[in-house]
Amino acid sequence: MTNTPPDALLALTDVNTFYGQAQVHFDLSISVPRGHIVCLLGGNASGKSTTMKIILGLVKPRSGDVTFDGASLLGLTTPQIVRRGIASVPEARRLFADMSVRENILMGAFVRDDREAIAQDLDKMLTLFPKLGQRLSQRAGSLSGGEQQMVAMARALMSRPRMIVMDEPTMGLSPLYVDRVLELIRTINQEGVSVFMVEQNASLALEIAHEAYVLQTGKIVLFGSARALKDDPRIRDAYLGGSEAA
Amino acid sequence: MSSWLDYTINGLIVGNVYALVAVGLALIFGVSRLINFAQGSIYLVGAYIGWVAVVQLHTPLPLTIIVVAVAAALVGLIIERFGLRPLQNSVRIAPLLATIGISFVLDQLVMLTFSPNPRALPSQLPDVRFQIGGGTIGPLDLLIAGVGITSALLLFVFLRYSKLGWAIRATAQDRDAAMQMGVDVNRVNQAVFGIAAALGGISGLLVGMYYNQIDTAMSLQATLKGVVAEVVGGAGNVPGAVIGSLLLGLVESYGVAVFGTSYRNLFAFLLLVVVLVLRPNGLFASARQAPPEPLTGTFIAPSRPVRIPRWALLIATAVFAILPLLPVSFYVLQTLINASLLGMLALSLTLVAGTIGQVSLGHAALLAIGAYTSALLSLTFSVPVGLAIIGGGLMSAALGTALISPSFRLRGHYVSIATLAIGEIVSLVILNWESVTRGPIGISGIPPLSLFGYELVSPISIYWFSFIAMVVLALLQGRLLGSHLGRSFRAIRDDDIAARAYGLSLNRYKSLAFIFGGFAAGVSGGIAAHLYSYINHETFNTQQSILALTVVILGGLGNVVGAIVGAVALVGLPEVFRIAAEYRILIYGIVLLLLVRFRPQGLLGTM
Ligand SMILES: Nc1ncnc2c1ncn2[C@@H]1O[C@H](COP(=O)(O)OP(=O)(O)OP(=O)(O)O)[C@@H](O)[C@H]1O
Ligand SMILES: [Mg+2]
Repeated sequence: MTNTPPDALLALTDVNTFYGQAQVHFDLSISVPRGHIVCLLGGNASGKSTTMKIILGLVKPRSGDVTFDGASLLGLTTPQIVRRGIASVPEARRLFADMSVRENILMGAFVRDDREAIAQDLDKMLTLFPKLGQRLSQRAGSLSGGEQQMVAMARALMSRPRMIVMDEPTMGLSPLYVDRVLELIRTINQEGVSVFMVEQNASLALEIAHEAYVLQTGKIVLFGSARALKDDPRIRDAYLGGSEAA
Repeated sequence: MSSWLDYTINGLIVGNVYALVAVGLALIFGVSRLINFAQGSIYLVGAYIGWVAVVQLHTPLPLTIIVVAVAAALVGLIIERFGLRPLQNSVRIAPLLATIGISFVLDQLVMLTFSPNPRALPSQLPDVRFQIGGGTIGPLDLLIAGVGITSALLLFVFLRYSKLGWAIRATAQDRDAAMQMGVDVNRVNQAVFGIAAALGGISGLLVGMYYNQIDTAMSLQATLKGVVAEVVGGAGNVPGAVIGSLLLGLVESYGVAVFGTSYRNLFAFLLLVVVLVLRPNGLFASARQAPPEPLTGTFIAPSRPVRIPRWALLIATAVFAILPLLPVSFYVLQTLINASLLGMLALSLTLVAGTIGQVSLGHAALLAIGAYTSALLSLTFSVPVGLAIIGGGLMSAALGTALISPSFRLRGHYVSIATLAIGEIVSLVILNWESVTRGPIGISGIPPLSLFGYELVSPISIYWFSFIAMVVLALLQGRLLGSHLGRSFRAIRDDDIAARAYGLSLNRYKSLAFIFGGFAAGVSGGIAAHLYSYINHETFNTQQSILALTVVILGGLGNVVGAIVGAVALVGLPEVFRIAAEYRILIYGIVLLLLVRFRPQGLLGTM
């Protein structure tokens, strides 16, 4: 469906994924151009989170290839992939609940050794996410969902990634927080970080994305620039974002 | 006389020793959700390395401690790297079984190297005691307390301020998320095993010095105590493990003060069972904490069982039935009698562990109950032996099920811990309930096997008796598995939540499985009692429970024919190859390890 453009930072090519006997991805091809926000849309159980896991090496595809900056990620472990420059905001945040907010954010810098720069980056996170300042020593598990999302994003940024993958970053957030999160994603992207995000809410995602893919039971059924897709009537047929769908 | 303060001091000191073991268990459970049954073996290794250092190399105390810590840590690293890491993607029971196998191997290696006889391990400290309040305290007490507190502090600082410590805590809380931060979980596992082993080894050294004696039986005891302390404190909870250990030390010490030394372990295991039943997540777990076991999934390797045609089974049965008529030696019959006794136990365990998925580590207790019941019925009440054996089976079925029933709501590893504890409790009750069981003296002069008034003394008749008993039990079990009941058992094993959703009452089915299994094991124990003519509280021990488990895994969990084939193989092959008795346990341990690694579904496949 897509040819890997030469400037793709991340590319999945003809990926087929199985859980036991059940096939989850059918010849999945996705590419994320350098500096872009690419969004993967799809209903429940369409295989979105599995795509994230494939990128991060948590699940291995049966066939196909995943490349980052031209080099295949398939033989690498998750920590090795992270060290290549991919950070993640997992589905449902997955903070370290019993560690403090500060420790959670600093865990994001686990792959780095430059102590001073890490300290500076922590300060930078506090300007980007001002609310976290007063919460630094609080248990992460005791934060509200919106606050947890901020921590998860700060944590991901702390590794100074070239790319962030996010699984439904707006899930379960109030409209106010949803706007903040989208704004932040845009800011992050403007600072040069490419973004690959999974979303169920098409109208929101298409606000900030450059390109989008629509996934349906493991197959890409629609692909295009966000602008084009926003006006595409098929977006509603192929993918129902519930009542919020534009 | 000792004062209450003395008992308190003793309890806290012993608690410190337990803490060194339990903290390691908690660290390991935290990062890999595994109860490391080899922890006691590392403690044993620590004690013996300490003995070599002190007695043969005459190292000074600080150096001894360092040598022991380093050597034990190395053992831990080797276990992690070669024993457990290859099992990362196996079914969840695999690493647990592997640690059991490793512990057998290590204990036997120590025993073969140093002989099973106890040795003195001098503490090299002056033998003085200081008065404090109404009690006394000696330099060794202070050393143990000092080592305990120092280790706890070092560990605290390490976990809180070092990068590796952070990685350990993050992995314990969310393994996948930690990997996504770039944490190499293999390194974390390695670190945790190294630390746990170093602490465990030091603990063994200190205990050896405290009692001025070391022997190979220390290993299992240490594992058990460490597990008790860890579970009481909440599996995976490091500070909880420390508090659980101190609590355990005190409970034991006060128990000894009131009731006497032989009650020490009884209190430990009662504490464990009470905590498991009332607060399976430990005393300090908060409600929000997710249960540390994944709720469902393949605890047992799924596989396609090998189909054996009916005629082949009939021929095999016929061959074994007429075997004594052929010119076979007494020795062969003797071996096959032992195999059928073990076969009956394996039938029982394969039903409980394989078919309904409750991996019991205390199955020998059912043998003991059957044996004592049958022995006492025939001795005291002159019940005919045939009936007495059936009485033993019924008593095992009833009592065994009653004892395990409070633990029915537990899952996975917790079932194994509970059954292990109940097995120990049964043995300790037998030891202490002198008016009925004759306590440590045991029961002698048990009448020989007899049927309808005829004594069975010839090996041929004994062989036929036990062989027929086993075949009948196997046929019954085969029918059971093919019935609706058998399907319900498997449904519960494969997904107890779904099974409950379909309206199956878990408690009822688990009870039925234990009743049936208890009967088979009880009959085996009963026959054994009349065969041996003497039994005591150690006749049926944990080693037999583990042997039965190895048999069952060898044959294929849940597989009736497999249980019997496994029993014949494990009893018979060492005889065929004339392997000396002291190497057998070692071989069993290695067999278990190899099976878990290369053929978890066993010879004939799981059912
Ligand atoms: N570990 C697993 N083992 C087996 N099947 C799995 C596993 N993880 C996911 N699946 C199955 O794979 C399919 C795709 O799952 P995935 O989590 O990728 O969907 P998703 O698009 O992220 O859904 P949602 O919108 O609900 O998050 C689902 O049918 C799911 O049940
Ligand atoms: Mg998902």
